[in-house]
Amino acid sequence: MDREREFAKLLAEAPRRGMTRRDLLRRVGLGAGAASLTAFLAACGISKEDTTTEEGEKNTLTTTEEVGNLNFANWPLYIDRSQGTRPTIDDFTEATGITVNYKEVIDDNEGFFGTIQEPLSNDQAVEWDMIVVTDWMIAKMARLGYLEELDHEQLPNFTANAGAIYKDPGYDPGNKYSVPWQSGITGVAYNPELTGRELTSFDDLFDPAFAGKVGMFKEMRDTISLTMLSMGVEPSESTEDDLVAAQQKLLQQRDDGIVRNYYGNEYADALVRGDIWATMAWSGDVFQLQFDQPELQFYVPDTGGILWVDNMAIPDNAAAPIDAMRFMDYVYDPEVAAQITAWVNYICPVPAAQEILASAKDKYTQTVANSPLVFPTPEMEANLHHYKDLDEDEEARWNDLFGEIIQG
Amino acid sequence: MAGEGRRKLTPYLLTLPGVGFLVVFFAIPMATVFSVSFQEGSLSQGFTFTGHWQNYTDTLARYDTQLIRSLMVGLIVTIMTLVISYPMMYWIAFRGGRRKNIYLLLILLPFFTPFLIRTLMWKTIFADEGILLGFLKDVGLVSDSYQVLATMTAVISGMVYNFLPFMALPLYVSLEKMDPRLLDAAADLYSSKRQAFLKVTLPLSYPGLFAGSLLTFIPAVGDPINPELLGGVNTTMIGQVVQREMLTNNAYPRGSAISFMLMAVILIGVFLYARVLGTEEMTG
Repeated sequence: MDREREFAKLLAEAPRRGMTRRDLLRRVGLGAGAASLTAFLAACGISKEDTTTEEGEKNTLTTTEEVGNLNFANWPLYIDRSQGTRPTIDDFTEATGITVNYKEVIDDNEGFFGTIQEPLSNDQAVEWDMIVVTDWMIAKMARLGYLEELDHEQLPNFTANAGAIYKDPGYDPGNKYSVPWQSGITGVAYNPELTGRELTSFDDLFDPAFAGKVGMFKEMRDTISLTMLSMGVEPSESTEDDLVAAQQKLLQQRDDGIVRNYYGNEYADALVRGDIWATMAWSGDVFQLQFDQPELQFYVPDTGGILWVDNMAIPDNAAAPIDAMRFMDYVYDPEVAAQITAWVNYICPVPAAQEILASAKDKYTQTVANSPLVFPTPEMEANLHHYKDLDEDEEARWNDLFGEIIQG
Repeated sequence: MAGEGRRKLTPYLLTLPGVGFLVVFFAIPMATVFSVSFQEGSLSQGFTFTGHWQNYTDTLARYDTQLIRSLMVGLIVTIMTLVISYPMMYWIAFRGGRRKNIYLLLILLPFFTPFLIRTLMWKTIFADEGILLGFLKDVGLVSDSYQVLATMTAVISGMVYNFLPFMALPLYVSLEKMDPRLLDAAADLYSSKRQAFLKVTLPLSYPGLFAGSLLTFIPAVGDPINPELLGGVNTTMIGQVVQREMLTNNAYPRGSAISFMLMAVILIGVFLYARVLGTEEMTG
């Protein structure tokens, strides 16, 4: 009861916190370039031998006891904040006695991977007990033997409360190595005042009428997968021919002068500035942008969108695996999940959180609860697809062909 | 004698910190990168040295456009910074009077702000409907579809802006230490102002010009940040290629091969440049 009241109070504060996640994003986005450089430097050291995938090596946890301290690497602005504190982290410490060293050090999957790849490939521990990376990176790291297996007996909340589409996902069968943190949709966002008409399909991004005003992603999986879907191909079942065809379509779009640029996170600023009229987009960002610019629209293309999932996982040889699992389970308590989602605004893996948010008194929280960008409607969910799980050779091939598009 | 032996060793001992620094932070990494550039493999299987020289030919065939583009951009940026900063520095050195230091400070002032922030501010200033272009479009000076961001113009302008001090300061140093009475002497010997500039001032500023060009050209060719932030479609430069090969593709051998090729091309260019300007002027 007490917790509920506390939580309601916190939610009530939300609109006058004065600083939205979007504001913060604007401020911290500056660090991204610098962070990739660090990752680049870290990636320069190359191991000659990779020992972790050798047969016969037993992958066991370093400890079966709680350590009392958790080193947690996450993305910027990916957990609730209130007046300089992180309520969920503080509550967790209060409930379990485990202190959390929470660092927002992940700016992109590949850059972060570059910083931990060297020790992991030498079967050494990294400084993190828990990390959050996107589904395909989970698959890649699991394949390389870089992740600890989860003990699902320690995760009763996950079993009880996780949404059906988050259990036993294709990228990590049986949630052997990971449980979802938040997820989102890759679709299309546009400004109807600039496009002058309603958009519904992915091919609208190929309309010559918008020449020079279209944004595409430099995230290879997103761009290629949505393009494949627009050509009637299910990414997970795609062949080499489908890949080449998708590349041709994207090259054509570029050479026709339709694409203004291939963007990372900065697409949102370009959309707000009006530099681009229509662009590939991530659902959570658009939800935030709509507070400033209600006219902005987000849709899942009629040919299909991508549901991506960021997951919590434990790097190999982590010092505090049990503490990490306690945290994983803690955030699957619907109230905790609601508290995080109210602030983060990405898609929550706990459906029960929607009711909790909807019962809040303030308008902001109700907007979150009722937004299809945070809790997608069943029709939207039915039209969402997943990335293809690429093996190493495929990934190299996809990257090669995609590189020709964005690095002209 | 022992004392004499030690005296002979002293200069070498004095260089030890410098040599140690170079070995640890230059020689060893260079050797590693060189070795990696001849390796084959993948992240899961590890990389092994196989003398795979095709890393060089493959990447050159694939990225020749970007390499040539980078060299051209480096050249343009160097020339533009030179053209902009020479008159400026000339004026400060010879006409600056007691306020020389204030003028220099004014030139350096913007560079007290971090590089990344300055470059990102450009995005706000040059947005399609931003404070500058929005105004120009409203008064009809440029067409509605005109854009600066995501073009080569933006990349080159950003670099010229960011690299200006690297050209300006060495130029200033060499111009400032020139004795102005040399120009009087030239006039006494019936030289015109133009001749005096070409035969006295310009040659005396060669060391600064040489140093400034190198300090601008080399980082400009390999810079991944300006093209990443200000560039768009078909403005990719070689620094971005290396970054993507290394970080996204985890193709360390290919990334290393490109890095080495770039270095070789720059070294050859610098060598030729030094031959043309003359090594004597180069060292001042």
